[in-house]
Amino acid sequence: MSPLERAEANFAWKLVLPTIAVLSLLILYPLLYNIYLSFFDVQLNGDKAFVGLGNYTKLLANPDYYSAIGTTALYLLGTVVGTTLLGLAMALLLKDPFPGRGLVNAAIMLPYVAPVISVVFGWQFLFDPISGVFNYLMVDVLHIWTERVNLIGDPDSALGVVILFDIWKHAPIAYMLILSKLVSIPRDQYEAASIDGYGPVGRFFHVTLPELHFVLATVILLRLIWNLNRFEDVYLLAPNVQTLPIFTYYQAFTGVIDQGLAAATSVIQLGVLCVFIWFYIKKVMKW
Amino acid sequence: MASISLKNIVKNYGKTSVVKNIDLEIEDGEFVVLVGPSGCGKSTTLRMIAGLEQASSGDIVIGDKVMNDIEPQHRNIAMVFQNYALYPHKSVRENIVFALRRLKVDEQELQRRLVEISEMLQLEELLDRKPADLSGGQRQRVAMGRAIIRDADVFLFDEPLSNLDAKLRGHMRTEIGKIHNKFGRTSVYVTHDQIEAMTLADKVVVLHDGYIAQAGTPMEIYLDPVNIFVAQFIGSPSMNIVDATLHNDYLQLGEHKLPRNKLSAVSFDDEIPSEGQPVKVGIRPDFFNDKKYFTQSDSSFIFEAMTIELVEPMGFDKEVLFNLAGASIKARLDLRSDVKRGEKLDLLIDLSRVLLFDTNSELRL
Ligand SMILES: Nc1ncnc2c1ncn2[C@@H]1O[C@H](COP(=O)(O)OP(=O)(O)O)[C@@H](O)[C@H]1O
Ligand SMILES: [Mg+2]
Repeated sequence: MSPLERAEANFAWKLVLPTIAVLSLLILYPLLYNIYLSFFDVQLNGDKAFVGLGNYTKLLANPDYYSAIGTTALYLLGTVVGTTLLGLAMALLLKDPFPGRGLVNAAIMLPYVAPVISVVFGWQFLFDPISGVFNYLMVDVLHIWTERVNLIGDPDSALGVVILFDIWKHAPIAYMLILSKLVSIPRDQYEAASIDGYGPVGRFFHVTLPELHFVLATVILLRLIWNLNRFEDVYLLAPNVQTLPIFTYYQAFTGVIDQGLAAATSVIQLGVLCVFIWFYIKKVMKW
Repeated sequence: MASISLKNIVKNYGKTSVVKNIDLEIEDGEFVVLVGPSGCGKSTTLRMIAGLEQASSGDIVIGDKVMNDIEPQHRNIAMVFQNYALYPHKSVRENIVFALRRLKVDEQELQRRLVEISEMLQLEELLDRKPADLSGGQRQRVAMGRAIIRDADVFLFDEPLSNLDAKLRGHMRTEIGKIHNKFGRTSVYVTHDQIEAMTLADKVVVLHDGYIAQAGTPMEIYLDPVNIFVAQFIGSPSMNIVDATLHNDYLQLGEHKLPRNKLSAVSFDDEIPSEGQPVKVGIRPDFFNDKKYFTQSDSSFIFEAMTIELVEPMGFDKEVLFNLAGASIKARLDLRSDVKRGEKLDLLIDLSRVLLFDTNSELRL
C-alpha cells in the first residue's frame, strides 16, 4: 500500500465506523447474548444456571428436532426451487413489451405486497374441507377425489400447502429480480447466437442462462436465508407444520418454557446458515 | 458459397419507410460494399439478408433458396457485428468455435481450423481470455475469427472497423482484403467510410435514403457518378460543386470559358440543353494540377493566376483553397508544388474530368 492508499483506507474506516458501531449494537449484542444463553438453564424469573453443553446434548437427543430438520429441508427445497422456476418462467414469458404490461406486473406483485395475515385466511378458506373452493373443485366438479380432504389439518399435506403458499407469495419477487436482468441482456448476443446457428433452446442455454447466473444465485440465496428463518407464514397458515423456527418457538414459549434450549437451536441454525452462505458466495457466486 | 439476390426489398417501421425498393444482384464470391451516410438503411438491408429483420415486402434469395421466412440460424451466414457482440461468458476460444460446436464438427478438424484462424488473426496468446479482458482491436479480431472460421455461404460485415482508431482501421482493412482474396467468399460489407468502400469492393452500392443511388465498380462510381450525392459522397476530399451557365460553344464558369466540345457528356449533340441554361459543375480536387509540373494536352484547360487562400500540407500531397466563380474550391496538388498562401498559381485540369449536373434534379448531364 502506498501512503496515499493507506490514508484513503484510514479515511474510509473513519467514515464507516459509526455505522459499524450502531450495527454491532443492534445485531451483534443480541447475537452474542443468544450464544451466551444457550449455555444456561433459564428460569422464568430470569435466574440462570450454567449447564455447559447441556442444552445442546438435550436438543440432539430429541427426535422432534430431527423431524423439524427434515421438514425444513423439504420446505426449503420446495419453496426455493418453486419460486425460482416460477419466477424464471414468468419473466421469460413476459419479457417482451406488450400493451398493459404495467398492469400485469402490478397484479403479479400483489401477493408479495399483501399483508400475510389477510392472505393466510384466504388460503385457509380455499382449502377448507367443508366449504373450500379447492375441495369443491376436486370432488364435485372434476371428480378427481371421491371424498373431501382436510389438506391443512394433516401435517403431511399441510407442508405441501405451506410450500405452495410460499411459492405463490414469493415468486413475484423472484420474477421481478430475474426480469430486471433479463431485459438488460443485449439483443445482439441473441442475434450473434442465431447467426451462429443456435435456435431458441440453444440461445437460452448459451446466452440467457449465463447472464442470469448471478441473479439466479442471488434469488436462491435470499430465498434460502429468508425461508430458513420463516415463521409467520407457516405458523399462521398451518401451525402443525414444524419447521425449525416453529420448533424453536414451541420450545421457548409454550408448555415448559425453555429459553436456553431455544437459544441452542438458533445458534446451531445460525452456524449452519453462516457456513452455507460462505460456501455459496465463494463457490456459486464466485465473489 | 452462394449468390444473393434482393428483389424489390422494402422495409417499413410503422409508417416510416427505411428501405425503399432495393434491387440488387450479388454474384457468388463477390465482395459488395454498401456505403452511404448514417441512417440511410445500410444496416437494415444487411440485417434483412441475415434474417435478423423481416422485409416488409420483396424477396431475398441466397443461392437458389428464397429466404424470406427462414430463421437466421438456418441461413448458413456468418456476420461481424458493429460492436462485435462477443459472448462475454465464453473464452476467446469458445467464442470462435461456437458455431462449429453447434455443427458438431469433429474435434480434430475444429482444432485445426482454430489454429489456422488464430494464427491468421494473431489471437494465439488470447485464446483463454474473456472478451472483457481484450482491447477494442483484439475484440474486433475475435469477431472476425468467429465469422471466418465457418464455412458459411455468405459473410456479412456491419461497419466492423468503425470502432477502431485510424491506424488499426487501415491495418484491419488490408487484412480483410487479404482474407477475402484467400477465401473468395460472397461478402456484403456495410460502411459509411468511402475509403473502405473504394479499397475493398468488387462492387460498390451507394445507398441514399433507402434507395440505391448507384451501383458499380469503385472506379465507375468515382469517375462516373450518376448524381451530385454520389459524386460528393465518394472521394476525399469531396468533389467541388460550382454553379455555371451552359452556352452553345462553351461553359461559363465565373470569368472562365471552358470549350464545350471537350467536356465529356454534353458534347453529344442531341443532349445539348438550350443556350444559357444554368448547370452545376463538379470537379474533383484530385484532378487539379500545378501547371508547372504537367504537360498539357489538347483537352487541358488552365485556370490562370488563381489566388491561393489556404495551403494544407498533408505530407505527400497538399490541399489548397482558391476562389472560383464565387465558390471556395479545393485542389489536391502533389509535393513538388511549393505554392504559399496568397501567391498566384496556374491550375490545370483535363476537361474530360469536368462533370455537369442538372441544377434541379442534380442528375448527371
Ligand atoms: N427498430 C426500428 N424502429 C424504427 N426505426 C428504425 C429501427 N431501426 C432502424 N430504424 C431507422 O431506420 C433508418 C435506417 O437505419 P439503419 O439501417 O440502421 O441505418 P444505417 O445506414 O446507419 O445503418 C434510421 O433512420 C433508423 O432510425
Ligand atoms: Mg448501421
